[in-house]
Amino acid sequence: MSFKTINLYDAKKEKVLQVTFVPSISLLENLGLRNGTKVVVQSRYGFGGPVLCRVENAFAVAIGKDIATQIAVKEVSSK
Amino acid sequence: MSHHHGNQSDEKVLNNPNKILLMGNPNVGKSIFFTELTGVHAISGNFTGTTVSFTQGQITLGGKEYTLIDVPGTYSLSPTSEAEAVAARFVQSGAAAIICVLDASNLERNLRLAMELTTYDIPIIYTLNMMDVAERKGVSVDVMQLMVDLGAPVIETIATKRQGLDKLIQSLEVVLKQAEGCEYSCNKCEGCPWAAAREICNRACTKDVNANPSFLDKLGDAMMKPKSGIPMAIFVMAAAIAIIVFGGRGLRAGAILPLVNNVIVPFFRNLFTSFVPEGVFQNILIGEFGIFVISFEWILALIFPYVLMFYVAFTFLEDTGFLPRMSVLFDNIMRKLGAQGGSLIHVLMGYGCAVPAIIGTRAATNRKERIVISAAIAFAIPCISQTGALMSLLAGYAWWMLPAMIAFSLVLFATVTIIVGKMVKGKVDPLLLEIPNMLMPNPKSYGRKLLTRMKHFLKDAQGPMMIAILLAALLAESGVLGIIADAAQPIVSGWLGLPAEAVTALILGIVRREMSVAPLLALDLNALQAFVGGAVSLMYLPCLSVFAILAKEFKAKVAVTIALSTIVVAIFVGGLINQVGQLFM
Ligand SMILES: Nc1nc2c(ncn2[C@@H]2O[C@H](COP(=O)(O)OP(=O)(O)O)[C@@H](O)[C@H]2O)c(=O)[nH]1
Repeated sequence: MSFKTINLYDAKKEKVLQVTFVPSISLLENLGLRNGTKVVVQSRYGFGGPVLCRVENAFAVAIGKDIATQIAVKEVSSK
Repeated sequence: MSHHHGNQSDEKVLNNPNKILLMGNPNVGKSIFFTELTGVHAISGNFTGTTVSFTQGQITLGGKEYTLIDVPGTYSLSPTSEAEAVAARFVQSGAAAIICVLDASNLERNLRLAMELTTYDIPIIYTLNMMDVAERKGVSVDVMQLMVDLGAPVIETIATKRQGLDKLIQSLEVVLKQAEGCEYSCNKCEGCPWAAAREICNRACTKDVNANPSFLDKLGDAMMKPKSGIPMAIFVMAAAIAIIVFGGRGLRAGAILPLVNNVIVPFFRNLFTSFVPEGVFQNILIGEFGIFVISFEWILALIFPYVLMFYVAFTFLEDTGFLPRMSVLFDNIMRKLGAQGGSLIHVLMGYGCAVPAIIGTRAATNRKERIVISAAIAFAIPCISQTGALMSLLAGYAWWMLPAMIAFSLVLFATVTIIVGKMVKGKVDPLLLEIPNMLMPNPKSYGRKLLTRMKHFLKDAQGPMMIAILLAALLAESGVLGIIADAAQPIVSGWLGLPAEAVTALILGIVRREMSVAPLLALDLNALQAFVGGAVSLMYLPCLSVFAILAKEFKAKVAVTIALSTIVVAIFVGGLINQVGQLFM
């Protein structure tokens, strides 16, 4: 079963997602957000706020809306 | 033993071959190691970017002197911010050894930087720090396996408890000795650093998926959920303000004021009257506005209680991981103002002192963000010294004056951020911030940090204060003050509605911020005058040190622009408040 690709900002919370595209921002890459990285969206903050993601089940990163909408992810399996 | 914010002497440090680099991801405990190893106090904090310039100190190992350098934290050597660029330059300049600090609770990403470091021909020793946090999160690490894979010593540590430090020093001595004279070799990483880091991590790390989240982890998570986090953040801020306002007031009335009035000032009065003859000179020393009276009354009795209480609260909060959580929760508001949440940390630091706050903006990935936030701090964020003086100034009037001043400063902050954001070209980068684990501050490092900060404050405040008072005395005695007061009369009295003597505040305020308030205390102002005076001083020129740091961090043009506009805006807006206020009086 395959899942469709969506952007990280709109992704469902608490699902294991696999990153399929990241914009070329070196801090993203340095933080470990690359193609294939597994992330889980934990919270989303309204009024243009960021999304909070857990990366590789290890650490949390807050990603501003303008970046999160450019990151493509697909669902891997439900948690 | 010195603290650098990046200047000419950087070259000298870079060229010194006898240096040991303390490196690692941001927020892994480098500053604590640095302090423990050198005795030089580097200020630590639980958020990305506490070490944005480097600090150096001496360390003796195996009978030889080395310079230990606390390099800004980096995720990688391809720099994404000014702080990271500094780190890259250090590795490229070579060193006797690198201490690479790894966060055991977050090994894979930490190893990624380690992989990059192995490509330089510098001996590396690894510390596996935060072992307590790793344990709390159910992560266990096979240290032997890690040593084999890295081909270098790995020492388990808990920096805040000093655990493993002796072993680190021993190993360091061995490594330095081995490296001497012979070609150094370790397991170099040739392929993709990420792949290598993952492979090593997978071999050495196991995570217990059934581990129960600890209280701190649950608290950290709750603080990040908008529904529970925002009320919690507001509660913590309110508690902090209460500690500062009431704690400061209590400390002042209960302990420090009696000490100054009954012990310190009489002591100097007796001392000086015993050998200095009556007259101008004695007046300058211990008259009503004498150096040894005013400096203690203002610095120690008026300001110090609030400074102490501010750092009691702030030093605690900065080690818990509260500040980056605030950044995330309020990123949307900051974004509406044209900035981003990450800067909120620097703004909050600015309530203590603008100088470290402006230096701290180096962690910003973008120059525009730096200028906008630095300007907003200079304009609208009163440092704690000034806040202490403002609270005393407003205390004599209606209770709502202080909240009104706070509201005014917030509106001012928003306005300045929006306007400067429109003036500076470019775009602000969106928020991208790692959120650290919640930590319980270690009492010992907490106490030490607080003590360091108080020493710094007393040292930094007393000198300029004495100079300012001397300056004021000279201006008054020579009659120059009278001339200036006459000349400024139309502005100070006509437009701002303050007594002509208030001009003293505007002159002294150039030296230190609280001195743009303190002279007003003696003037018997009415409520409107007090509010106008307070508002003017809030907006007014942010002290000489801030001016200097603005000039150093940006171009002189930026510093002059900010300084001039603060003066013009302070007088213009202050006058408006007065004129409008007059209508209601
Ligand atoms: N629990 C725990 N906290 C630590 C340890 N080492 C450092 N810390 C805390 O982690 C935070 C980051 O440390 P700091 O020295 O500022 O890191 P730096 O940014 O790498 O210089 C501070 O709040 C320290 O008190 C450790 O081994 N255990």
